[in-house]
Amino acid sequence: MVENRPFLSFLTHLVLIAGVLIVVFPVYLAFVASTHADGEFLSGLVPLLPGPNLVENYWHMLTVGISTAGAPPLWIMLTNSLIIAICIAVGKIIISLLSAYAIVFFKFPFRLLAFWIIFITLMLPVEVRIIPTFKVVADLGLLNSYVGLTLPLIASATATFLFRQFFLTIPDELMEAARVDGAGPLKFFRDILLPLSRTNIAALFVILFIYGWVQYLWPLLVTTDSRYYTVVMGIKRLAATADGEPQWHLVMAAVMLAMLPPVLVVIFMQRLFVKGLVETEK
Amino acid sequence: MQTKRTIFPNKLLPYLLLTPQLAVTLIFFIWPAAQAVKSSFEREDPFGFRTTFIWFENYTRLFSEATYLNSVGKTALFAISVTLLSMSLSLLLAVAVNRVLRTNRLYTTLLVWPYAVAPVVVGILWWFMFNPSIGIAPYLMRGLGIDWNHRIDGTDAMLLVIMAASWKQISYNFLFFVAGLQSVPQSLTEAAAIDGAGPFKRFWTIVFPLLSPTTFFLLIVNINYAMFDTFGIIDATTSGGPAQATNILVYKVYADGFLGLNIGSSAAQSVVLMLIVIALTAVQFRFVERRVQY
Amino acid sequence: MATINLVDLKKNYGPVPAVKGINLSVADGELIVLVGPSGCGKSTLLRMVAGLESVTSGRIEIGGRDVVRAEPAERDIAMVFQNYALYPHMSVRQNLEYGLKNRGTPREEIDRRVREAADILEIGPMLDRKPRQLSGGQRQRVAMGRAIVREPAAFLFDEPLSNLDAKLRVQMRVEIRKLQRRLKTTSLYVTHDQLEAMTLADRLVVMNGGLVEQIGTPVEVYDRPATLFVAGFIGSPPMNLISVEGLASAGQSLPLPRGTDIVGIRPDELTLDAPAGAHVALPGTVELLEPIGGESHLHVMLGNGQTVILSVPGRPDIAEGAAVTVHAEHAQMHPFSKETGRRTDAVANP
Repeated sequence: MVENRPFLSFLTHLVLIAGVLIVVFPVYLAFVASTHADGEFLSGLVPLLPGPNLVENYWHMLTVGISTAGAPPLWIMLTNSLIIAICIAVGKIIISLLSAYAIVFFKFPFRLLAFWIIFITLMLPVEVRIIPTFKVVADLGLLNSYVGLTLPLIASATATFLFRQFFLTIPDELMEAARVDGAGPLKFFRDILLPLSRTNIAALFVILFIYGWVQYLWPLLVTTDSRYYTVVMGIKRLAATADGEPQWHLVMAAVMLAMLPPVLVVIFMQRLFVKGLVETEK
Repeated sequence: MQTKRTIFPNKLLPYLLLTPQLAVTLIFFIWPAAQAVKSSFEREDPFGFRTTFIWFENYTRLFSEATYLNSVGKTALFAISVTLLSMSLSLLLAVAVNRVLRTNRLYTTLLVWPYAVAPVVVGILWWFMFNPSIGIAPYLMRGLGIDWNHRIDGTDAMLLVIMAASWKQISYNFLFFVAGLQSVPQSLTEAAAIDGAGPFKRFWTIVFPLLSPTTFFLLIVNINYAMFDTFGIIDATTSGGPAQATNILVYKVYADGFLGLNIGSSAAQSVVLMLIVIALTAVQFRFVERRVQY
Repeated sequence: MATINLVDLKKNYGPVPAVKGINLSVADGELIVLVGPSGCGKSTLLRMVAGLESVTSGRIEIGGRDVVRAEPAERDIAMVFQNYALYPHMSVRQNLEYGLKNRGTPREEIDRRVREAADILEIGPMLDRKPRQLSGGQRQRVAMGRAIVREPAAFLFDEPLSNLDAKLRVQMRVEIRKLQRRLKTTSLYVTHDQLEAMTLADRLVVMNGGLVEQIGTPVEVYDRPATLFVAGFIGSPPMNLISVEGLASAGQSLPLPRGTDIVGIRPDELTLDAPAGAHVALPGTVELLEPIGGESHLHVMLGNGQTVILSVPGRPDIAEGAAVTVHAEHAQMHPFSKETGRRTDAVANP
């Protein structure tokens, strides 16, 4: 619509710039802190411009860490986070694809029951069943293991629903044509359904990768061995110690490094990210 | 429930396909949830040798506990504040972005990334910013004569967690409002413009009512978020303190169960939380169904 | 090359019967068109032959082999779908090859067949494109190509032209006819368009309510509709069905078989001028004159309030509202019984 109201346009940009400042400022502060040397913060006020120690601080965190906080070098934790986020995302996608496929393309006794069991997972977030879930994982001997860190998190009703929704939009005739062409259920899944789901899978991967990366409570519970620390929970440990003996520049370097991978994913895959987010939550 | 017109005739295969999902769900969701329900009706003796079935005693005790009722109140205050603050800011930003043409991609990119920041990291960022000894915010506020200390002052602590939690959720709400705004047919606002309605009037009389499905959806999602996904924020900023001032339900379950090791009470709290999630989910799905009929 | 035999074929959806016992023999190389209004069971019937719908009872034989329990892929048929059902992520070539690859056809054989099909359908230049880069007509050709390369015992067509615009539909109809004549593959073709049915079919199967109303060549069905339903369904504009009482009240008596209470007269057999042979004359008023090019449709309201349509050549100089007399020769009348819905002069036409 053509409408020329200079004042309104000015206001619009003002609102947006204010919004961006609100969103960016806390992170900018952390960034600035991460570039200064030890002791710059004792003076009582954080500097507002970046200092010269960026490379040094980040390198220190990546390779050495803060041993007094009982946290290993960041590269270990980053690697763990990466492994866990990818395992969770891939695991969720695989089991959701399979179960959505079963629910949409087959008719079998207890189909509705299966659907409801999957649906129920929506209503049971980890936070509300922490202790018994922890107990199950402990009884299975999965504490301090990648399996224990990922497996309990990979059941996903939302991903299943997304794929179910998508499968329902695939024309019936496509599956019929494939059957006439001699494709059985597994061949149809591999040759037709998977290639057609590519975009959905990618979009979901972005969302689930972030979901896996930002997990905090669960890793906190099931890991006591620092070899399995993820970066997000590791940082909390750093910060907790830092309160007593502040090494702000290093903590904030770790914060920046922990934020960077998922934020980059969002920024560079914005289209997929938005698609994944808006569609899974429908 | 819907399937395809033709379906594959295999008998065994669908069960095989469902096995991984169902196994994970049963072992890590249903079974623990059932355990929580079971132990919420039991008392364990201090040595863990014997459990006694005590009906609703854990629940009645829970709801007569001042700290629990306090936690319920704090949770409500926290959830409502976060929802309102975050949603209104996001709506404002979404409307603004919807008005600009050339730069909207840039603004969107600059606004959406906090979605990817872990709640606990958000907590640390805000905690750093508001740190009473070195933070920039208390320093500025001292200049205005405000003495900020969330370590001692419960109100300050609540404000801090509300701000941090709202900040994190802005990007999410923003994206959904943008999507909602884009689905408002332009012909309607054009018609209103021809009818002589100015931009503000147009927004309140045409756009905002048409946005109500999105708004309602976000309302539920935000309450859900504030109640369950903010564990990391609380843990990193206030740890529920000072003096229970920010001890929201989900944090209390953890603190009582893991740190306090009161299994029966913690289980009862879990069950109450489950009921809340179930209620929220039911409302959301009822609503989604209704929306489909539009 | 094969025959298709359907023996007392039935299909129920739960308690609801969709196909109520169909018997049909399709000769080798014949093109049979199943035609009827939507919901008459024609698509269900075709899909049962394809193996996409289970059979409640009865037999389906393709090439003499009972295939009721066989998977679609084992029935040696190829199907052309209404929305083409091309695999959107595969190139045209991959679409054509997919069924052959699944059957383990040797590479050289696949290449030969794809090349031949591409030649026949003139889609050679498009082989490496994706379906979404093709026009509707081109997609239709690819869908046909996918059926041809299989060299199946029978083609099954499920309303293959209904997604095309009117002009393209006529063109593709001609092509399908030529192609089928050339390949001489036994074919079952489903459509709701009676014109498409008439022009394509070796024989027509007119269906209604899950039952066969009439089987015959297009000319037979047009010239001697076996039932009131067929009379009303085949032909455009549809046959005029006039009650015998209406004729009697107009003072007309004529020799009709016992039990006749409705007579059908095709619009082009009604005339304004009295013919030479024995005929009836019905006075009426012109309600509407529709010139449609080479001929005109004249809507005339008879004395008993019933409207009949006449197809007359050229553009008659008659004003709307004018009084006219409509004539029909006795020999051109199709006598029906309202009660049975059948012809009353039927010899042995099912």
